[in-house]
Amino acid sequence: MSNTAKGWCNMRSASKAARRYRARLLAVALCACSAEAGTNDLYVVCNTNVILRPGEVREVFIGEKYFAGAIRLTPADNLAAQATFLGRVVKFTADKYANLWTKKAFRDGANPPPVMVNDNEALAYVRQTPGACSYVEIVPPPGVAVIGKF
Amino acid sequence: MPSIRIPGIWRCCALAFVLVAGSATPLRAATGTDQSATLADLQRKLDESLMAIKALTERVRELEAKQTPAVGATTPAAPAAAEAAQLEATEHRVEQLERADASRKTGDSGLPLHGFADVGAGTHNPINPSLKGFYVGNLDFYMAPRLGDRTRALFELNTEVGSDGTVGVDLERAQIGYQFSDESTVWIGRFHTPYGYINTALHHGSWVNNSLRRPRFLQFEDNDGIVPAHTVGLWATGARHIGAGKLQYDLYGGNAQQIVGGALDMRNAGSPHGNLMGGGRVAYQFGDGAVNGLALGVHAFTARITADSPLSATRVRTYGGYAVYDTDAWENIAEIYVFDNQDLDGGSGAHRSHAGFVQFGYRVPWGVPYARYERAVLDQSDPYFSALEGGGSYYRAALGLRFDVDLRSALKLELADTHLTDRSREQYGEGLVQYAIRF
Repeated sequence: MSNTAKGWCNMRSASKAARRYRARLLAVALCACSAEAGTNDLYVVCNTNVILRPGEVREVFIGEKYFAGAIRLTPADNLAAQATFLGRVVKFTADKYANLWTKKAFRDGANPPPVMVNDNEALAYVRQTPGACSYVEIVPPPGVAVIGKF
Repeated sequence: MPSIRIPGIWRCCALAFVLVAGSATPLRAATGTDQSATLADLQRKLDESLMAIKALTERVRELEAKQTPAVGATTPAAPAAAEAAQLEATEHRVEQLERADASRKTGDSGLPLHGFADVGAGTHNPINPSLKGFYVGNLDFYMAPRLGDRTRALFELNTEVGSDGTVGVDLERAQIGYQFSDESTVWIGRFHTPYGYINTALHHGSWVNNSLRRPRFLQFEDNDGIVPAHTVGLWATGARHIGAGKLQYDLYGGNAQQIVGGALDMRNAGSPHGNLMGGGRVAYQFGDGAVNGLALGVHAFTARITADSPLSATRVRTYGGYAVYDTDAWENIAEIYVFDNQDLDGGSGAHRSHAGFVQFGYRVPWGVPYARYERAVLDQSDPYFSALEGGGSYYRAALGLRFDVDLRSALKLELADTHLTDRSREQYGEGLVQYAIRF
């Protein structure tokens, strides 16, 4: 085999290797993305003045628990993560959750949690409101108390 | 070798100096001696120029050495300070917006008003069987203003159409309470009397009820109900976790009701004789296993109730129990009431009556089919029942269907067969339809 042919072959094999490498990178990236999408961790966060156990979160959001010690709890839903939260923590469908609060408001005079539109708004609400709790899908920044990861 | 960087302006100065120095020497055609002298002169001037350049270069170095730290400290400092100020202002602005938004989300921006409404049609009016055709039901508003950490309030206004077609407005509930803890809240005002299950869980608001109407004997006071649906007084309520379930309790006292014009009056403004009534309810709600969703309770109340026509006074003692199985699939309810009444004026002595119902409902994706049987066996010699328009005995069987049109509206159908068993022996069948909404 001539040097030119060897060089050509080397170039081709190098090109193949590069393609394989790129393919592997793409596969790894896709796996990482799909793993990220599949797990999308949910964090329940509260104002730093709230002390709450993860097992109590459900009761807070269905209006069965109003106080953490002397602190009045003011939970807020996060529209962007509500479906995940209801499925994982409250174990309700969205319809059942809405009906529950309609009945609870009528029977007990309780107000349903206000609704934030996304993680940032939920975090801002939690930071600013004493007794506030909500949930987000991003890793919570400092300034809020992380009650649990679900 | 380290290179020396000379600013352009100094390079230009040096070049200008050389040119000026060079131009100061006239070129002339000269002989060999003249040329030598000229060359020497040029050499000298060139040396001077080189020395001057060297001196200038040194001077440039000195200036650069002096200026470099100063430039580094001052030139970027101004933009950095400006950026920091701008950043701080932006952060302050964001913080203000967050605070404003957070306060908006906590409900400080107004009082949400919610309610229920229903209309319908039937072969008989669901409340007054002597009427037929279309009817306007209730338009019920309720408000629960956010007041603070522990003070709560609930107000409910209901507009309803009477048998004569007039529209009346009732302040169904007006209660203000203080919540001591998750286990204890005390209300004062007018509230739903806590007995059985449906009187507090499924009160006004047809949409809340899966069935088209309440059992006849548990109708509201102005719809010929025989048990006081409302009390004006004080009510302590709460629940405590015990095991996997909850123990719920209610204790209450208030103005004794009075029978006025054949209907119970809960004495909103006070009782003329200062008569009081009191009662309680205790229930355990299971929270785990096969019985999750089951609640079993007992209830009792007593009151001295007077009637205006005929004049009478009765010690009403009512007690009973209830069971509810409320899950994702089932809504089954059973309630029983026993009346051990004592005639206080007429000397007719003690009278025992009873009433109850059982209802089975099964939730399917589109709604809830249900069946109910109710019965009231009421002693007509009891002055309490004889004074009430709705105090007659009866039994009724009903089959119904709730169809959820959407999340906020439901269409209900009911077929019922009612037998009146003492005051009259009338029997009538009913076909009813109702459209109920919440908002």
